[in-house]
Amino acid sequence: MDYTVGSVAPIVLLPFFAFAINAFIVKRFTKTAVGISCLAIFGSLLYSLAIFKDFVFGQYATNYYIHKVFTWFDLGPSFKLNMGIYIDNLTAVMLLMVSGCAFLIHIFSTYYMADDIRFGRFFVYMSLFTSAMLGLVVSDNLLGMFIFWEIMGFCSYSLIGHYYEKEEAGAASIKAFMTTRVGDVFFLLGIVMVWHTVARATGEGSVALVDIYKVLAMGGFDNLTLWGFPLVTCAALAIFMGTIGKSAQFPLQVWLPDAMMGPTPCSALIHAATMVAAGVFLSLRIYPLLEAGNLTTFVAYIGAITAFGAATIALVQTDLKAVLAYSTISQLGYMVLGIGVGAYNAAFMHLITHAVFKACLFLSAGSVIHSLHDHHTHAHVQEMPRMGGLRKKMPLTFLAMMCCTLAISGIPFFSGFVSKDRILGDALLRALDDGGALWGPAVLGFVAAFLTAFYMFRMMFLTFFGNPKDQELYDHTHVEKLSWNRNVPLLVLTLFTLGFWYSGSFTGQKLVKFPVIKKEWFQTLIEKPEKSKLGRFKDLKRQEWSSVDNRDKTPLPKSSYDPNHGLSEERAHHVHHVHHIGAILSIIIAFSGVGLAYLMYVAGKLNPSWWVNKLSGWYKALQNKYYFDDFYIKGVIQKGLLKLNNLLAAFDMGIFDRFAIDGWKTINEWAFRLSGKFDDEVIDKAGVGGGPLVVKGFNVILRTLQSGKVQFYFIVIIVVLVSYIFSI
Amino acid sequence: MITLSSYLVISTILFLAGIVVMIARKNIVAILLGIELILNASALNFVAYTKFVNQNLDGHIFPLFIIIVAAAEAAVGLAIVIRFYQIRESIHIDDATQLQS
Amino acid sequence: MFGNILFLVSALFSVLGAVGVVATKNIMHACVYLLMSLIGVAGLYLTLGADFVAATQLVVYVGGVVILMVFAVMLTGGADSQKSNRFGIKKTPMMGSIGTYIAGGISAILASYIVIFRLLPKVFEAQPVNSTMAFDKTVEKIGMLLVSDHVLAFEISSVLLLGALVGAAVIARPKRN
Repeated sequence: MDYTVGSVAPIVLLPFFAFAINAFIVKRFTKTAVGISCLAIFGSLLYSLAIFKDFVFGQYATNYYIHKVFTWFDLGPSFKLNMGIYIDNLTAVMLLMVSGCAFLIHIFSTYYMADDIRFGRFFVYMSLFTSAMLGLVVSDNLLGMFIFWEIMGFCSYSLIGHYYEKEEAGAASIKAFMTTRVGDVFFLLGIVMVWHTVARATGEGSVALVDIYKVLAMGGFDNLTLWGFPLVTCAALAIFMGTIGKSAQFPLQVWLPDAMMGPTPCSALIHAATMVAAGVFLSLRIYPLLEAGNLTTFVAYIGAITAFGAATIALVQTDLKAVLAYSTISQLGYMVLGIGVGAYNAAFMHLITHAVFKACLFLSAGSVIHSLHDHHTHAHVQEMPRMGGLRKKMPLTFLAMMCCTLAISGIPFFSGFVSKDRILGDALLRALDDGGALWGPAVLGFVAAFLTAFYMFRMMFLTFFGNPKDQELYDHTHVEKLSWNRNVPLLVLTLFTLGFWYSGSFTGQKLVKFPVIKKEWFQTLIEKPEKSKLGRFKDLKRQEWSSVDNRDKTPLPKSSYDPNHGLSEERAHHVHHVHHIGAILSIIIAFSGVGLAYLMYVAGKLNPSWWVNKLSGWYKALQNKYYFDDFYIKGVIQKGLLKLNNLLAAFDMGIFDRFAIDGWKTINEWAFRLSGKFDDEVIDKAGVGGGPLVVKGFNVILRTLQSGKVQFYFIVIIVVLVSYIFSI
Repeated sequence: MITLSSYLVISTILFLAGIVVMIARKNIVAILLGIELILNASALNFVAYTKFVNQNLDGHIFPLFIIIVAAAEAAVGLAIVIRFYQIRESIHIDDATQLQS
Repeated sequence: MFGNILFLVSALFSVLGAVGVVATKNIMHACVYLLMSLIGVAGLYLTLGADFVAATQLVVYVGGVVILMVFAVMLTGGADSQKSNRFGIKKTPMMGSIGTYIAGGISAILASYIVIFRLLPKVFEAQPVNSTMAFDKTVEKIGMLLVSDHVLAFEISSVLLLGALVGAAVIARPKRN
């Protein structure tokens, strides 16, 4: 396959053109606009499939990549900016996931949003959102990623605020926008640092990923410091702050739960395929930088704290979408934890599997919410305490949601087990190997896995099992019928929650071999960009991204699965041993979580309210989301920023006004008195009215300068020009 | 003998005449006439240089764009003049000292 | 020989026209002098071998812009409409007085200072070559350049013209009440 403008650009441009066209026609031709949006994203999906096929089933080896650039603008030799595409196995898989999920979400949205007043507007932003995410994935440099990143920020702002009549929705959109902005500022700072380092090392500034890898391999980051800290640590931390903001990691996780104020399909898009995935994807891209900056332990802790904290908050939520929102934060924590403990491969796999099952979970939740209609308030019902027993009314949605819940809880044979278990196994491995501080993330990860199984099944049991708690609501709910835009997307996504798509076998482990041959394509294709492997970026040549693809097309040696992962026999045995322990542990943990939920909410053996009473302090803290919102609003904004504002205002009013303006007045008064004296004593005695004349003269000058007469301004221009040219 | 400098002298004269017109006249239309003179002086320079120094056709493109811009400027400028006359019943430049209304 | 005569006539036309624009007391005459000056410039273009530019100059400037000016003069009442402004202060005459001419002259001297003492020495360093370009047709080449190297400017200028057209129509339309 040729990687020309024509074969890559449509992935990004088709949804973008759909956005550009729809922005104009959406008022008049809403149906057509929706059709264009869906068709455009389907086109992107086809192009992504072509790339996926080429990379995954094609001839390319593990470390193959395509990097093509064009000059975006050229401001002389010191500042030249290239844009381009960087496609490797990571990109290929990611492209398919994003476009596939987005396509299914678009289809579902035609069902969910059909009776919405702003049906078309929703699709306009969805198209732009998807386009930006696809652009971020194929982008070859940090600045390009940043641009698409910001477009996504804007789109999430307008999608979360879709129901802007509701005050909370408007507040939530502003909150999401402003919170992610905190991370983005640091991201931009990181880009600047990287630019200067690359410029110093190679003589030409660049933020392209390959240039960063090259400079890392050359050691261009060594011995540089910023205020006494190693520069590479500062840069990596700054860029990782972008991830923290975008992927809702501790301590900037506050925006994501509020983001569920938007329509449910948009939550599916934000929480699964696009926005939050972008942060983790960025971290995967800059993994060598994180490693070189010795930040991996820090990253692992951030991820583990997020995974654990969000899981605990999810325990007490009663809103269906809130549980899912917190579970998203928790799962994102797992991905970041995976990056931190070096489970690059597993973190990326979890990104993909999570995107699929979380999209499906949100769409199922949308399906449930959309069919529950309160006849008194005419609002959709999201509160779990009013549901129950919906299994019989919506069997297909139930099937989809059950599979996804099994996947997210880490039950074997499902995708979540495969990926999460590998992250936890690697965390355990790191803890056993390096010990000490690294036990923290491992333990938090396992505890969070238990909590995940518990709260997800709590949600399932409250929603679909038991007796209906609101009989009237239950009776008014129609029995679900199979429809192409409601159930088909769910069922397609459900299909991909099975583990063997990702691991090549049903178990994902060598412990139980079924079937015996397994095709570990994920493990084979995705390679951790360790420092020792960056050398191949040293002698790269610029390839123009144009209408012809003239790269070297000799078939490469196909990568094959290495059961020892390039480690020595003994070491590999040890690694597998630890992973088996981890797998058994997480299976036990998952089933005990499910069992506890069953005992509490179905069998009724344990009473949840007893626990609530027993742990009321904790319960209150969880209900208030660990007081993070309060802290940010009351602590940071009211105490800090408002104080700062007041201080500045006080400076303005008190010091500037008093001393500068009033002081000027005083000086003037003094001058006046002085000149009056001078007048009386000197001028008058001398017999000339000099003082008034000076004042009058200034008056004339000032009046003439601001006359508003064009011709006078023209004369001034000429005089200034002449004096300028005279001076050089 | 016709050289580059003879064209430059002519364009300088046009330019200076334009400046004098722009400053001395108080009629807005007359000021626009001055602007046209200045634009022509610069366009003449482009063509003269392209013949005597550069010898490629890029210098012929610029006068074309200058003519286009001058036409657009004249159209909008005169529209403003006519509108101004409707409001103030005058096209004296010193009446146009306020930006509002 | 013909070239020299054409140059002399055109130069005379353009310089006299420019001087006329400066000197005349009647705005209508000023327009006609401008016309003369622009025709002269078109002739100068011809002596430089720029046939297409000269034709455009004649068509657009002489045929379009100056006619527009004449219309504007006629629509706005021609010469001095009021002798005093709304505060009853006597205005400077529309076509300038001695004071304004002095200001303009000083500005022109200042500007000519730049031209003569700063720019011209640089110009003569530029080593003009004796032209060998004969009167060959430029239209074709300009057309190719416009749609290849300068296509962006070309498209932008079309948008500019459209904007000017709409803008002029909107501005000149009287306000509806």
